[in-house]
Amino acid sequence: MFKRVIGVVSALVLLTTSPSYAVASAPKRIISLSPSATEDLFAIGAGPQVIAVDDLSNYPTEAPITKLSAFTPNVEAIAAYHPDFVVLNADATKAAEIKSALENLKIKVFVERAPTTLADAYSEMTALGRATGNMSGAQTVISEMKRKISQIIAKSKRHKPLNIFHELDATLYSATSTTFIGHVYEDFRLTNIADKAAKADDAGYPQLQSEYVIKANPQFIFLSDAQDGVSSSDVAKRPGWNGISAVKYKHVVALPQDIPSRWGPRLVDFYQTISIAIGKIG
Amino acid sequence: MASKKRGNQELRSIWDWRITAIAALLLLIIGLLGISFGPINLRFDQIFKTILGLPNGLTDQERAVLIDLRLPRVLLAALVGGALATSGAVYQTVFRNPLADPYLLGAASGAGLGATIAITNAHGNLYGLLPVFAFCGAILAVLVGFFISGKFFAEPNSLLLSGIAVGSFATAVQTYLQQRHSASLRPVYSWILGELTAASWRVVTWSSVYILVALTILFAISKQLDGLMLTDEEAYSLGINPNQIRVVAVIAATLATATAVAASGLIGFVGIVVPHLIRGVSHRVTNRALPTIALIGAAFLVLADLGARTLLSPAELPIGVITAFVGAPFFLVVLRRKRLINQ
Repeated sequence: MFKRVIGVVSALVLLTTSPSYAVASAPKRIISLSPSATEDLFAIGAGPQVIAVDDLSNYPTEAPITKLSAFTPNVEAIAAYHPDFVVLNADATKAAEIKSALENLKIKVFVERAPTTLADAYSEMTALGRATGNMSGAQTVISEMKRKISQIIAKSKRHKPLNIFHELDATLYSATSTTFIGHVYEDFRLTNIADKAAKADDAGYPQLQSEYVIKANPQFIFLSDAQDGVSSSDVAKRPGWNGISAVKYKHVVALPQDIPSRWGPRLVDFYQTISIAIGKIG
Repeated sequence: MASKKRGNQELRSIWDWRITAIAALLLLIIGLLGISFGPINLRFDQIFKTILGLPNGLTDQERAVLIDLRLPRVLLAALVGGALATSGAVYQTVFRNPLADPYLLGAASGAGLGATIAITNAHGNLYGLLPVFAFCGAILAVLVGFFISGKFFAEPNSLLLSGIAVGSFATAVQTYLQQRHSASLRPVYSWILGELTAASWRVVTWSSVYILVALTILFAISKQLDGLMLTDEEAYSLGINPNQIRVVAVIAATLATATAVAASGLIGFVGIVVPHLIRGVSHRVTNRALPTIALIGAAFLVLADLGARTLLSPAELPIGVITAFVGAPFFLVVLRRKRLINQ
């Protein structure tokens, strides 16, 4: 009797702790319908489990890009890949309906929400690690990111108050400090000129007036629309802008493609870009 | 001498030109308000000194704000407002339909498709050509509608219907493109809501050429346009060729609309509200009112743009939101008053 109890208990312990158990429940056919999640999955080591990613998931290059849409997901098109795990963006069209439709097909769905802080991004990575059986990979990536980012911020010189303007597009949409991207500038103790227009959009993406940007006189302009062809010379040509400090002293910075709009491991590169830019003045 | 005097009296009974003078004065005052307000405070006296070329005016940067940002924006708003209001009035006369607006005949959808193509193209390098694409889209859509309807104006309703069909087709293609390029959703959206943020002297220059030519043609044929309100037989007996006038009127009004759309996106409601407002207030349906309608349309849009710039300052509000939000209730009040008078 006693032996049998020992046997059952030890079997149970083995079952819950052994790596074979984790692998047995880990998804083997993952579809990512989010460019950020795709970057996360490959970074934490879930790459080999990923069978398809959406049409905007262009990084890393080994990601199996398909015509699947992240914005308007199609249940049948997704099901055709026979996935056992799907990452769905919470902002996708009819996300709730898509989720329950996929779950009816016995497919696990991970709903990814756009984070507003770095901590949110880390907890999402942790959750992806847990759900895909790559917990240790996720933890390594997170601690690496944390280490590098705090190193970059510590190294960035102490500077006098600096105004920045983060440009989303040529019609002067911007991001306030309450947004994910805004927090990054906040980490460098930069003053975001869009904050004065925060009341215009509760999501934190107001459209600024050209005249206001001139008045606010930012020392740095970060072009996240550089990937759409906007260059520092275009910015200098705007009426009245040649008097802006950032334009006068050539501190208009073209941001690398996609990085500022994703919350994956490449965020470190974004911190690095800002650090290098503001390092130019003391 | 006597006959000339009687002629003037007749003209006055058709249209009182003092109303036009008041409208011009109103536009001037609103225009001055328009260039006086913005996130940067400019003092009135310094603005006048700068405009008149006197010393002690604005600093160089303030000057740039006034001359290169505010002035073109106010002028563009005035041009677009005048173009949309006038072409609305003309469409309403030509199609004998009080609901006709400048975006009828697929002009708006065609322009929307053109703009979306420019915005969503592979590398974003057509973005600067957005006005050209919007302009061509509008003109193309109207031309296709013209040729499909075949008999042109023998039956204005057939042109109207083919315009609606062409418009729906263009909208379908535009929606498809938008779905395929969801990353560029925001620029498409803000263009559709109408924006004057892109105003610059370059835009003002090219759009003023087309709009002023179109408006001059429409003002010049305003007497013949009145003839379209009669039956075609009556019009012929007055020496007017109704189909000829219709073709000229629709081409000129479409040119004005396409230019306005290309310069500023889709700004709704001006083309319906302003003509009915002027006709309602003056109790005159005559097209002699066209210059007045143009002036009030211009004043209305300059005022709406002032709201777009100041209500959420330092952020922008899409101007189309203001024109509809303010225009619709105002319009309803005018309609109701007019109905009470008619009873």
